[in-house]
Amino acid sequence: MSRLKDHAPSVLVAGISAAFGVALLRVTAVIGTAAAADSATSGETAGLVLGVVAAVFIVIAMYVAAIVTANTFSTILAGRTRTIALRRLLGSTASAERRAVAGEGLVVGVVGSLLGLAVGTAVAAGLTALAVALGHLPDLDYGVVDGSAALPVIAVALTTWLASWVGSRRVLDVTPMQALGGAQERTGAEAAGRGRRATALVLVLVGLGLVGLGVVLGLISPLGVLVGLIGGILSFTGLVTGSAWVMPPALRLVGRLFGGSAAARLAAENALRYPERSSRTTIGLVIGVTLITMFAVGTESLAQIIRAIDGGSGDLDAMLTTTVTVLSVLLGFSALIAAIGMVNNLFLSVLQRTRELGLLRALGFTAAQIRRMILAESAQLTLAALLVGVALGTFYGWAGAQALLGSVNGAPGLVLPGMPWPVLTALAAGSALLTWVASLAPSRRATRVSPIAALAVS
Amino acid sequence: MPAIPSVEAMHSTPSGASSAGSPVVARVEALAKAYGSGTGRVTALADVSIGIRRGQFTAIMGPSGSGKSTLMHIMAGLDSPTSGRAWLGDTEISALGDTELTVLRRRRVGFVFQAFNLVPTLDVSGNILLPFELDGRRPSSEEQAWIDRLVDSLGLRDRLRHRPHQLSGGQQQRVAIARALATRPDLVFADEPTGNLDSRTGREVLALLSAASQDYGQSIAMVTHDPVAASYADRILFLADGRLVEDRGRASAEQISAFMLAMERAA
Repeated sequence: MSRLKDHAPSVLVAGISAAFGVALLRVTAVIGTAAAADSATSGETAGLVLGVVAAVFIVIAMYVAAIVTANTFSTILAGRTRTIALRRLLGSTASAERRAVAGEGLVVGVVGSLLGLAVGTAVAAGLTALAVALGHLPDLDYGVVDGSAALPVIAVALTTWLASWVGSRRVLDVTPMQALGGAQERTGAEAAGRGRRATALVLVLVGLGLVGLGVVLGLISPLGVLVGLIGGILSFTGLVTGSAWVMPPALRLVGRLFGGSAAARLAAENALRYPERSSRTTIGLVIGVTLITMFAVGTESLAQIIRAIDGGSGDLDAMLTTTVTVLSVLLGFSALIAAIGMVNNLFLSVLQRTRELGLLRALGFTAAQIRRMILAESAQLTLAALLVGVALGTFYGWAGAQALLGSVNGAPGLVLPGMPWPVLTALAAGSALLTWVASLAPSRRATRVSPIAALAVS
Repeated sequence: MPAIPSVEAMHSTPSGASSAGSPVVARVEALAKAYGSGTGRVTALADVSIGIRRGQFTAIMGPSGSGKSTLMHIMAGLDSPTSGRAWLGDTEISALGDTELTVLRRRRVGFVFQAFNLVPTLDVSGNILLPFELDGRRPSSEEQAWIDRLVDSLGLRDRLRHRPHQLSGGQQQRVAIARALATRPDLVFADEPTGNLDSRTGREVLALLSAASQDYGQSIAMVTHDPVAASYADRILFLADGRLVEDRGRASAEQISAFMLAMERAA
């Protein structure tokens, strides 16, 4: 059944975020139990702090998953326009059509989160057994499940449902007329409302102002970091809200880097064909890259300042490396979810361009040129996300470190951001891998398009 | 004046390369095409031999399922025959691989389809120049002058920065014609070029194709089932059940309709 196949990536995304949530909460509970057994006094607090930290990472992963799912639904619906138009023609109302789509979203969310529950529980149990076997944890009875698992499961099912509702907005724009004959394929013109743009702009400006204030206050008191944190959250929310205006210029700029060949120019245009779709496809990656870069640059900058104060020690470096690695892995799940969204969206957008690809083949595009075009499209999406994410992450990470330790006795005042090269290299390598992986299936599909079949009048 | 080979003449001279000055720009010999296998086997073309004359506007007619589209696809290097051979100029295209065929289409063939002729992300200028860009080059000054002339004579000067969705159906088809003529290909294939247009716009497009053939000596092969469209052509080839059944010169729409009706009754 094609509808089931349509939703396989969304089930995967819901499954991963639920599994991540279940496993992380479970591991946190296990560590809390072990800590409580170790020293009865501080165990409770340690468990609470770990739980809060885990919740933050779970919410980030769920947020990225929701963006990805909303985008996937909106892309799938673009391909279903003719069918929906036919049903509208035969008397179905627009709201009934939208409810049907949201119903699919609820099924996707429930199926995905239950699969995630099973996988997450199994992974956590495995990790616990491994840690006990290696002697990192005392051999206690940790149980296999606890009530906390219900939270991510329910939350993922609900956010997937909500995301499918948001992504199905364009169903309302389908007219019965579109069922009749060759409606011309349109490009662009998906821009969101003016109110959203104003909201985004205010959030970014106020947020950046607060970040700047935090850095200045940080030269006097470590409490500057709290002002900066609020500013960071506000400005980044603004950027994500306004991604439809932030990402297209970045995509355009990156598109120019690939030169003026026909394949590169078409790829650049394709990535901007539906600005909102490309923005949502890339913003998930931007969130992941920004957060990973932020923590890495933040800790590296902190290390710089601390070294300037007391000359530094080996213990500090080892501790910071461990922290950055753990945080990067946790955030890596959000990046993975965003990557799945990108792979799926690139594939769907190629699927929906079958006739255009047939035309290009007829006019003399070789299979190699088609492959280059799709690779360039894929590279454009990942590279734009990488550049924006690294730039934002570097700024936020530096501002955080500066605001936290700028006032400490012996600190050098303003420092340059510390660049965590191993993390940045890993991000670049990951992006290159994603570019290549994302282009595989669409390329295979696109070079198999027969110009005759694609151009036959349906 | 060199002898113009008739269908019979093509049969009697089954091989031999044509020179640049040849009156025949494309030809097929004993061409057959079948789809599927076993009991589901469908014969689209059975032993067709045709020459398309240089500089002429040729219509290929026939009812649905007569094999006219399949013939065009093979002659244009979009499809391969089950048996038989096809040439474009001196090149035997039935012997070429996918990449060679692709480059041949890019340089030596022009296309005007019924619908979906243009790349939606490119503006009019970008669509017209696409065959050059695919070749990784810019038009020479001589080619640019030719393109400018086409743009002016097709009335597209004010539209060069427009996207396809901003154009009417007739304007889109004129852009497709400009693109097809821009590289001065050996042969332009037009597949039901008026199928999606109202009759007045359709007549304009046909007059443009006819003028391209008369004024510029462009060879054009047009597949159609519309007698009015075929009446603009210098020569009309009729196909039925995968075979060539008639080859005649210019005719009126009434004569063509009458012949097609007679063909239907005989079937």
